[in-house]
Amino acid sequence: MLEELILEVKNVKYTRDGVTLLNNISFSLKKGEAMVIFGTEDSGISHLFDVIIRGDVSFEGDVLYKGSSIKELDYFSLMEYKEEIGYLHGDYGLISNLSVEQNISLPLEYHSSLSGAEIKNYVNKLIFDLNLDHCKKLRPFQLSRSEILKTAFARSIANEPDLLYLEHAFENQCYLNIITIFDILKKRIARKDKSLIIVTYRPENFIDIANRFIMFFNGRIVFEGSKDEFLYSQNPYLIQYKTNNPEGPMVIL
Amino acid sequence: MIENTVIKIGRWAIDIRNGVKDFSLFIKSIVTSFKSLRYIRFRSLYTIIINQTRFTGVDALSIVIIIALLLGATVIIQALTSLPKFGVEGFLGNLLVIIIARELGPLATTLIVIARSGSAIATEISVQKWSKEILAMELMGIDTKLFIVFPRIIASILSIMGLIIIFDVVAFIGGYLIALTVIYIPMDTFGQTLIDSFTFKDITAALAKSILFGIAVPLICCYYGFKPNSKFEIPIFVSKAVIRTLFVAIIVNIAISTIFYLI
Repeated sequence: MLEELILEVKNVKYTRDGVTLLNNISFSLKKGEAMVIFGTEDSGISHLFDVIIRGDVSFEGDVLYKGSSIKELDYFSLMEYKEEIGYLHGDYGLISNLSVEQNISLPLEYHSSLSGAEIKNYVNKLIFDLNLDHCKKLRPFQLSRSEILKTAFARSIANEPDLLYLEHAFENQCYLNIITIFDILKKRIARKDKSLIIVTYRPENFIDIANRFIMFFNGRIVFEGSKDEFLYSQNPYLIQYKTNNPEGPMVIL
Repeated sequence: MIENTVIKIGRWAIDIRNGVKDFSLFIKSIVTSFKSLRYIRFRSLYTIIINQTRFTGVDALSIVIIIALLLGATVIIQALTSLPKFGVEGFLGNLLVIIIARELGPLATTLIVIARSGSAIATEISVQKWSKEILAMELMGIDTKLFIVFPRIIASILSIMGLIIIFDVVAFIGGYLIALTVIYIPMDTFGQTLIDSFTFKDITAALAKSILFGIAVPLICCYYGFKPNSKFEIPIFVSKAVIRTLFVAIIVNIAISTIFYLI
């Protein structure tokens, strides 16, 4: 059913400087679904960001968000579209002259109709949930890696986005330190109205969260399946990736 | 030799044309982003305006006061030693208004703002761009052109306007105190001479200068702040930001003086 879909990527071909980065990519994401997209470094997973999040419309095919093509968005609709999607990338991008709580409240201060007191209460709850109480007045340069990630994560979900897009956000992190984030992600997925896309090199870390897995290679989808299929499929690309084997259908430079 | 010179001049002209075109596109994007004003909550800009005004205006007060005192004293000393030679010592007030209020005050204040805040604006934005803070804001649906440039323009106009007034007042007072060490001029006479020398045109010219400087300084510095694509380009563009803003400030100063006093 179309109304259940939050995101639909249809036959997308994305070319930059004469190089085809994504070739005939199609997939869809339902409400309440958590998808892990993985692949090697030049597989094209990073270029999905340009097409889905950044709003670069110079691609062939179409991307529909809640049934509407993002190609038809004007300047302001694109801003609203970005406001509706929570995005977190591996560089985190915390504003260096703002404290933890100011960073988290920034999207709310800018967009939301909540009062100052309501924003403060809501941000304090997020800070408590993520164990950031001890550092809420600190600036990013005073934080540890996991605190930076937690702050950026809190900021990305502050607006209660229907789609959360996490791109290489957990790489180089100690998973024990960020267990609170995984708890929040599990709760979000259990709500059935919030969707999640995780772009990563380590799909095995998200088996407890995700229910769909897509593998890219050379700008194409080479594997797509459920959690069980990801675990037990004999897809040669998947096996080569999971076993870190240089021998296989993928030629790794 | 001649051929090479012609090629160099041609390239230079093309560079200038491309630069002007690029800057026009930047201004156009700022104007477009102003439409976002109706979509945002003013509270998110308010804090930035306050912080920027504090940094550009309040924190610059001490250096502006010191420079105003020194320049005011220099002008008065020169006036007191030179005017009697021409028998026009009665025009001391006019000279102060012409030199300090009309020209030196606005220009010196703006030069201080460029050196302190212009370079800081360009550096801050370049570093924010390099560390992907600006990208993060864009992906939150924040109109970065509006969010970054607009508050700085407002803060800069307010700061420059306030600093020019303070500069002029301090330069007059400082000049008067210095003058007292050389020659006695009654305070009320000095003050009256100054008031008599001021015209409505002087006030509107100073106002026009403070508004135009207030727009030009952050606009040019933000433009160059958004330019660097890598870390090593940051000092290159910060330097360009400061030098070109200085150049534009002097041109704007001449243009306004010409419009108000020559035409």
